[in-house]
Amino acid sequence: MTSSDTPSVAVITGAASGIGKACGEVMRQAGWRTAGIDLNASGTDMSLRADVSDRVAVASAVDQVIDRFGQIDLLVTAAGYYEEGIDVTDITLQQWDRMLSVILGGTVNCCAAVLPHMLSRGTGRIVAISSELALAGSATDLHYVAAKGAVLGFVKSLAMEVAETDIRVNAVAPGPTDTPLLAPDSLWREDDYLATLPLGRLVRPEEIAAAVYYLATEGSMYCGEVLSPNAGAVI
Amino acid sequence: MRREVALVTGAAQGLGRATALRLAADGFSVAVNDIVDDGRLTELAEQVGGIAVPADISDPAAGPAIVARVTEELGPVYVLVANAAAMAMSPLLEARPQEWWHQIDVNLSGHFRVIQAVIPGMRAQGHGRIVIISSGWGVIGHPNATAYAASKAGLIALTKGLGRELGPQGILTNAVAPSFIDTEQLRVDADDAGISLDEMRQRYRELIPVRRLASPDDIAAAVAFLAGPGSSAVIGQVLQPNGGVTRTRA
Repeated sequence: MTSSDTPSVAVITGAASGIGKACGEVMRQAGWRTAGIDLNASGTDMSLRADVSDRVAVASAVDQVIDRFGQIDLLVTAAGYYEEGIDVTDITLQQWDRMLSVILGGTVNCCAAVLPHMLSRGTGRIVAISSELALAGSATDLHYVAAKGAVLGFVKSLAMEVAETDIRVNAVAPGPTDTPLLAPDSLWREDDYLATLPLGRLVRPEEIAAAVYYLATEGSMYCGEVLSPNAGAVI
Repeated sequence: MRREVALVTGAAQGLGRATALRLAADGFSVAVNDIVDDGRLTELAEQVGGIAVPADISDPAAGPAIVARVTEELGPVYVLVANAAAMAMSPLLEARPQEWWHQIDVNLSGHFRVIQAVIPGMRAQGHGRIVIISSGWGVIGHPNATAYAASKAGLIALTKGLGRELGPQGILTNAVAPSFIDTEQLRVDADDAGISLDEMRQRYRELIPVRRLASPDDIAAAVAFLAGPGSSAVIGQVLQPNGGVTRTRA
């Protein structure tokens, strides 16, 4: 899908840090033009500051990308945040709603804004960042896990909705990854936990970006799939 | 710097051949195996600058012999692509036991022995990649293919077990489960069904959500990803580049 004279264009949410940032760097190194949507400024070719849970703001950001680059070949939805150590009965309505609006709503808003442009060209790649916790379940972070699981259902259905075009929608479900999203005292950084992983270590953000890059460049036969670079957390 | 060595079983044609070519293009030194060398294997070995190691992997002596020769001539195996497969279609009660078990002997037990043979070299190197070619039918099953599906499902379980067992030693095991691929096998399927090749392709396309058969290169790309530097955190997984036929049901 990359032609020699027109660089491909990637829109990456959450591009200012962690997995989103690594995705931006990998795509730029491969010669792509990158636009980042994040609450904070990102090191992409086109840094757009917006809250992905704000549908109007996302639509406006995507319009700006189209105005500047003319097309979108890849959407990566990595924007998100994490909260842990909360008993299920203590998760407030506000915490629940905010988590769903950012992780699920953010994914939906970005897909809704980008999809018309991909449909008009008949081609494109969407990679949603989910989580291995959505596959295996977890404790004390139930709102996050539910939101990431909902993303998987959304991805599988959207993938089928556009399957007869050359638009491919897939997910990457990282294992615990060494990003600012995991607090320094996160349970996932503890030696006792890491010892349970076949690889015995956290995943590196660039390892997630490599899976995204593979789906973006050679993933035309994946439809509603979940790739799991997770250090063996879920096998 | 010496090139890393890849060994591909079942490489005379189809996706084994495409995988050998892709891995060679990615910089690997490639050894190619198939049950016999009717000329194609040697030709491919010359094309990829590697060696041909013909042997029937259902023979218990074959795995150690193949790996010994590859190690001696090219160096220790870094990537094993377990691709060779036997397949015969028939309803369970009509299948001759010998034919049924032959598919298990080649696909599952044969590769078990090849894997056993490559592990010492990988352990000595402190790294290695085992890429097992399973099948969508090993994920969701298929009528009249109980032996093939059992062998391929067994390979998925083997992948997961090896992933856990060998991961701490730096050896990553993963699988690719293709479904419908545009290979020579389609001609066999078409002849079986008594229809033309194009009709066969069309019949299969209708079963695939993306309405396109995978090319051997699509599958080779998945193997190359699992053999390459980008998949260093992928372990015990089953990639399913099949256009949505199974959609992560493994």
